[in-house]
Amino acid sequence: MREMAFLGFALVLLGFWAMLTRKNILRIIIGFTIIDSGIHLIIVNLGYLPGRTAPILEKGMRVGDLSKHFVDPIPSALVLTAIVIGLAVTALMLVYAVRIYERKRTLNIDKYRELKW
Amino acid sequence: MVEPIYLFIILPVAAFLMGSLHQHLNRWQVFIFFTVLLFSFYLPIPWLIHLLKGGSTAQVFTAGFLPPISINLQIGIEEAFLMTIINLLGIMGAFYLLHHFRGTVYGPILYLVFIMGLNGIIMTRDLFNLFVFMEITSISLYSLITLSGSSENLTAGFKYIIASGIASILFLIGTIYLYYLTGTLNIDVMIASGYKIVGPAGSIALIMLLSAIIVELKQFPVNGWALDIYTASDPGIAAIIAGGSSSAMFFAAYKLLPLWSPSLSSIIAGIGIMTYVLMNLMGLKQVKANRLLGYSSIAQIGLLVGLSALLLHSTPVTGLTTIWIILGGLLINHLLAKAGLFWISGLIKGESLSSWSVLRKYPSLLFIFACLLMALAGLPPFPGFWVKWNIAMQLAQHKQFLWLGFIMLGTLLEAVYFFRWFGLIMKSELTTGIRVRISSLLPIFTGTFLMFFISLTMMNLLSGFNFNMLLPILIATLIFALKLIPGKLKALMTIFIIMFYFYFLLPELSGLYRLFAIIFFPLSALFMIAAMNKPGYRNGYFELLILIVLSLGNLLTSHTSLQFFYSWEVITVATYLIILRGVKRFDTALLYLVFSLAGALMILAGFSYSYAVTGSTFLGILGSSNSQITIYILLVGGFLIKTGAVGVHIWLPGAYAETEDDFSPIISAILSKTGILGLLLVLLLMGKSFAANTELNTILGWIGVLTAFLGALFAIFQEDLKYMLAYSSMGQVGYIVLALALYSHLGWTAALYLAFNHIFFKGILFLAAAGIIQRLGTRKMYEMGGLINRMPLSFLAVLISIIALSGVPPLSGFGSKWLLYNALLEKEWYLQAALAFFASTVAFLYCFRLIHSIFLGQEKTRFRQVKEASLWFLIPQYVLIALIMLISLFPNIIIEPIAQVMADFIPATLSWEGNTLMSSLGYWNGNVIMIITMGVFMIPLIGLLLRVRSMQKVKQFNIVYAAERPDKPETTHVAHNFFPHYQKALGFLVTPLVSKFWAAVSEWCHTIAGVLRNIYTGNGQTYALHIVFMVVLIYILAGV
Repeated sequence: MREMAFLGFALVLLGFWAMLTRKNILRIIIGFTIIDSGIHLIIVNLGYLPGRTAPILEKGMRVGDLSKHFVDPIPSALVLTAIVIGLAVTALMLVYAVRIYERKRTLNIDKYRELKW
Repeated sequence: MVEPIYLFIILPVAAFLMGSLHQHLNRWQVFIFFTVLLFSFYLPIPWLIHLLKGGSTAQVFTAGFLPPISINLQIGIEEAFLMTIINLLGIMGAFYLLHHFRGTVYGPILYLVFIMGLNGIIMTRDLFNLFVFMEITSISLYSLITLSGSSENLTAGFKYIIASGIASILFLIGTIYLYYLTGTLNIDVMIASGYKIVGPAGSIALIMLLSAIIVELKQFPVNGWALDIYTASDPGIAAIIAGGSSSAMFFAAYKLLPLWSPSLSSIIAGIGIMTYVLMNLMGLKQVKANRLLGYSSIAQIGLLVGLSALLLHSTPVTGLTTIWIILGGLLINHLLAKAGLFWISGLIKGESLSSWSVLRKYPSLLFIFACLLMALAGLPPFPGFWVKWNIAMQLAQHKQFLWLGFIMLGTLLEAVYFFRWFGLIMKSELTTGIRVRISSLLPIFTGTFLMFFISLTMMNLLSGFNFNMLLPILIATLIFALKLIPGKLKALMTIFIIMFYFYFLLPELSGLYRLFAIIFFPLSALFMIAAMNKPGYRNGYFELLILIVLSLGNLLTSHTSLQFFYSWEVITVATYLIILRGVKRFDTALLYLVFSLAGALMILAGFSYSYAVTGSTFLGILGSSNSQITIYILLVGGFLIKTGAVGVHIWLPGAYAETEDDFSPIISAILSKTGILGLLLVLLLMGKSFAANTELNTILGWIGVLTAFLGALFAIFQEDLKYMLAYSSMGQVGYIVLALALYSHLGWTAALYLAFNHIFFKGILFLAAAGIIQRLGTRKMYEMGGLINRMPLSFLAVLISIIALSGVPPLSGFGSKWLLYNALLEKEWYLQAALAFFASTVAFLYCFRLIHSIFLGQEKTRFRQVKEASLWFLIPQYVLIALIMLISLFPNIIIEPIAQVMADFIPATLSWEGNTLMSSLGYWNGNVIMIITMGVFMIPLIGLLLRVRSMQKVKQFNIVYAAERPDKPETTHVAHNFFPHYQKALGFLVTPLVSKFWAAVSEWCHTIAGVLRNIYTGNGQTYALHIVFMVVLIYILAGV
């Protein structure tokens, strides 16, 4: 599963690239979501243990065996939270984009420089 | 005690109800909103009391498991304290924002969520949970910022989201890798298993987490977005960001401190303190009020971060220790002061600094504003002062002198822009844009009131309650409250209060202190008689005078360096305010304040160094054998600034001359002696074996004599009467410094005798000048002339005082010079003696000019009707003349007590035979000299009187000038550019090199600030790039 981690990091770097070089704020937001996905991959990957299954209790499982069957449940829980938060932030960013576009009629981030120094 | 977990139930439930039922709630909405906020404020208070009484820190477990499996909350003393003040800020901020929230249901909902997030950040002990709460506060803030919906709001908010988004990404990656390495998300367990955080993965995880925290703390250079937020958002929101979320984030960083390796910890310290210095530096260039407050907020949080890393990392502490009180005090001081300032900014319509001048119409708001600025600048009596003092002590004790230096630099820069702003408000044109609401005023006033209360608590905790330290402020406030009393009555009250205080003070003092008490109390009271002359209420003037004089008394009764420093700073601030009252341009007062504060910081550094080596603040002995040179340099340097020694004198002429005419005598004659007192104390308390023998005294002596010489030289070329007297004061105090530097019995006797003499004659001169200026309306000496007939009494006073000044027999000046030269020769300081003698000759020149230009020569037409100066000016002058005559006739009256006092410290070399004073080099009998000189004077006088019949009186127009009759006889009176030949010969010595140097320092600071702040381009992507750079930089610096 190391590949997954590399893929995650690749996504993070790709996203950063987008955030730092694209001028259109929609693309910046997309960059942000790409980073988010990358991080989710990394998190899930860290909790993965080869040959084990998702940490969901089913009938017939003995409590003592749990730790032998399951992958680490905490990263999975974390990733769920992270997804929710990421969703909220992305939604807010998009709202911002809409509102800013209404005001300024441009999505170019270079044009939002009335405040500086 | 309510379980803190209820916060996370009640706040969201209320928010949810308000959101879903808002059509049915109507007016109940506000009720629910405030009830819930009150609940959140109440919740930590019983905990705080319980914990202060020694109760143990409580843990709250969730989900039925113990950590590390579940999330746990902790409520210890730090948490309870911080939650109390943040939730209090929450209520006050909500009250302020009430009008802002009207008509929208989202505002209060987001606000509740925000407050809940802050409490979560404070209490949680789980790293991932911390992340969640940080996101909750951020998301609610993103939305709160846009409530007013301007385009600046939106773009600033977007930059914030980008920066904060990147921070949360870094936080998440760091967190997950730390979990991977340690197997836990619980902060305490993670810290305990810190040994597992190894290898590249471990250090990168730590760096990422740290970087995220640094971004969230808005540290330099990753804070461009934060400045925009402070500028663009509604001041009510900015207040809770600056006060609330910054403080909560600081606490998150505080929790994680033990996690960092030593190298990371020093990086945090460096970043924090650099942020403090650089943000304050860049603040110099700022002209928008809210943005300036933003700079200052970031700086203050930087200081907190830096200090916590410096002080806590080596010695982890919990509970009510000094370090904890420093950090808590700094945090609450900043929280209340900055929130208050942002709230005031919400009342004012303009955004420039000068638009705040409208505050002048609302004295109570102006007062609050001044209090808040002083709190942030770390001046007494606000919590910031106790913090500043203890920071210096603690850092010195931890041997962090470099960092202490940087912090002091930052403090000074902050004071510069704050008090420049205050000066601007006081002196620029009155603006009109203000909207005052009760709902806005209430939190502002409450916050300031709380600050006084907290300051008292801190005083109690850190140094013990001391009523004397508060008394001057209390009395001044009481008098201030009696607003409608006429000025003259207030002047009388002031004199009465001062004498009353003196009456109680005197028995407590002995020796040297008694002499200084006589200088500070009865003599300044005498000078205040002049204030009876001015009509009107003069609000603030007398209050500040009382504050100054009573604090001078406290200076004398100080047992610890803290008490001394406290009173010293009170005097500085009060003097600044009183100067600012009188001057036309604020930079004169600012110059005084900046130099005085720099001097005070040097004194603080000296005291703290002494504390570091002796472990005590007791004013008995300063330093130990290996630290004395540094302490001597710092303290003497600080006190020299106050005396206006050459090189650091540029504040002096303006402050002495431009201030109100009846304050000039007090500041130049009395207050200049505080520096002398300081120098004397340093020499005494450093221990004789060091102070009597150090070569540094020679340098001090040279500084003194050069000051005497240059002061006199500057004085002769002045056209302005008061400037001339001011420079003369500088020179005269130089003599005193020279005499002190001798460290001999004769020298010190001379020094104090010089001091008394200087007070007498300079008092007369400034009072006479005040009388003349009041009648003539000009300070230019060349516009005066021939006033001997109009103001004979003033003439006589000036004549006598210049005789006393110049040191010719028979008056007291001769005695002081005699003592000084004796002392110099005894010490074999021949060169200094020569220069001092030359300086006295130069002093003759300006003395002569005083008589010639003002009183002799031709009368000016426009002043032909002027009357003698007001009686209120003449009374103190003639009392002083009587004193001069008395000590001239019977020098023993004053020299004997001085010599006796000095004999306590150094074996006496002076002795008496009747009225004859004997030194090892000669003797002097003031009585005989007086009689002889008077006799010598009598002969020509009698001759003149005999011939008085045959004299012809020449009227002003009865003159023939070089064979022609001038149209304007006054032009025959040479008074302008009086000493051109000396100017040619010595003018190169008075080129204002020192002023140019300090002007260049100021300009360089501003230029560097201007260049540096270019990194804040306003582009959100650049700010994102800054974060990336910072991560890389930390990676390199951490050396992994």
